[in-house]
Amino acid sequence: MFWQKEIELMDTDALRKFQLEHINKSIKTAKNSQFYKKQLDGIDKIDNLEGIKNLPFTTKEDLRNAFPYGFLATDLKNAVRLHSSSGTTGNPTVVFHTAEDISNWANLSARCMYTAGARNTDVFQNTMGYGLFTGGIGFHYGAEKLGMLTIPVGPGNSKRQVWFMQNFRTSVMHILPSYALRLYRTIEEMNINVKKDLNLKIAFIGAEPHSEEMRKKIEELYGIKAFNSYGLSEICGPGVAFECPCQNGLHVWEDFVYPEIVDPKTLEVLPDGREGELVFTTLQRQAMPLIRYRTRDLTRIISEKCSCGRNHRKIARITGRTDDMMIINGVNIFPIQIEKTIMAIPEAGKNYIIEIFEQNYMDKLCIKLEINNENFGGTLQDLEKLQHKLENELKQEIGVSPLIKFVDAGSLPVEEGKAKRVFDLRKK
Amino acid sequence: MLYHLSVFLVNSPGKLEKITKILADNNINLRAMSLASSGDFGVMKLLVNDPDKAFEVLKQSQLTVTKRHIIAVVVDNQPGSFNKLLNQLAKKGINIEDCYGFLLSNAKTAAIILEIENQPDAQKVLSEIGCKILTEDQLYN
Repeated sequence: MFWQKEIELMDTDALRKFQLEHINKSIKTAKNSQFYKKQLDGIDKIDNLEGIKNLPFTTKEDLRNAFPYGFLATDLKNAVRLHSSSGTTGNPTVVFHTAEDISNWANLSARCMYTAGARNTDVFQNTMGYGLFTGGIGFHYGAEKLGMLTIPVGPGNSKRQVWFMQNFRTSVMHILPSYALRLYRTIEEMNINVKKDLNLKIAFIGAEPHSEEMRKKIEELYGIKAFNSYGLSEICGPGVAFECPCQNGLHVWEDFVYPEIVDPKTLEVLPDGREGELVFTTLQRQAMPLIRYRTRDLTRIISEKCSCGRNHRKIARITGRTDDMMIINGVNIFPIQIEKTIMAIPEAGKNYIIEIFEQNYMDKLCIKLEINNENFGGTLQDLEKLQHKLENELKQEIGVSPLIKFVDAGSLPVEEGKAKRVFDLRKK
Repeated sequence: MLYHLSVFLVNSPGKLEKITKILADNNINLRAMSLASSGDFGVMKLLVNDPDKAFEVLKQSQLTVTKRHIIAVVVDNQPGSFNKLLNQLAKKGINIEDCYGFLLSNAKTAAIILEIENQPDAQKVLSEIGCKILTEDQLYN
């Protein structure tokens, strides 16, 4: 039932005491970094958890401005890994880990999977991307820690995925919810009965927002249990919050982070149950502690006791974002990355919109760009060259292949002031 | 200097009609045309009797249009004459960017419209090898 019974069943008073102690430890460690040395100047500790509201927030902008090493709170000799967001325009956000951080993260990720029912006799197929993205690697380490036979197959190539599932009797998979639906089609096309011919029992789904209906659909199609996973690379990656068998909200591991919900406008702390922006203070991170980090994710805290017995409070499904970040097939993209890439290509027009829609259970990113008299040379070859250039440069910057559509001059909406460029046509 | 117009167009119903209607409304005669498509979008080349006027009216109608320099060569309306022209161009190492043709009113000869890029002396070379080159008057009217 429990991976770390003592921690998972810790009562609320003990948890709060642990949190206060570790927030103060994090403050002390954080102040070894350039950023927090200034940000927390004159602050050494808080006397009670209430006091956290007096600490300043940390934002993604702060992370970017402190690029590359401004948040590193340990000697370089202790840092063993970095993860980073995509792209090079603006500064990507970079996150550092010590060996202890990696070990804690693996343990947290193992705890999540164990909570959902995975055991060391399971065969685990990880279909998430590896590399700078934390989704794949985070679960990989956790799965090995748990003792599962781990197949690091990575994303895509559906037939190969099914081949592994068949031959090695994969029982647990980590998968993007949208990809789970697409993969099902491939399984059908291969005339394989997913419930009889395969051995799947559990899926961990995350990295992109999805509805309860989508989860139910995945569970029905595959005849499995699907568990929602939440994480963000700034804190570590996946493992920050996870569903227990009750499947009614995600337990935030309160020995690892201290969660708050704040009003995104006034930044006042809101009581449990009210929806607002999720804010985390890390409790155990060594290379890069974060104090009151604004996740930009909108949710609420569920503090009612969970029938699984764990006292770690839960968060509800993420309902949206307070910034303009887009999530395309699990990849986080900011419109500014697209803007800067287009602006750096002189022959490209400057009037464009970004459309996101769904096709075949896949998110599609489409850039519609006006062709006008300033950038039209008069030949089809030039246009095709521009199209390929845009595709390649954008792919490099955002990690997602966009569709490039050329449209007539003056056909895109023009607005006063800041133009609305992003049109998300996906069903919510 | 001869030229035709190059117009950008999105591949959807009514786009071509919009262009020909503008020409018709402004009493501009379309002598010949060609169309190259890349699926979702394409480029239309228009040879008209009054390219300056056509350029202005198309531009005023929000169309993306540009003028492109051309050379118009006359060939006989008989088997092998176009091949003979191409053979001469190939020997001189002249590359054709775009090309289309149409019969002239006497039906005994045809005009071949050539777009030759990055070769400013192409017209001179063509004259030297004995090609008959059309003048503005002969081409547009």
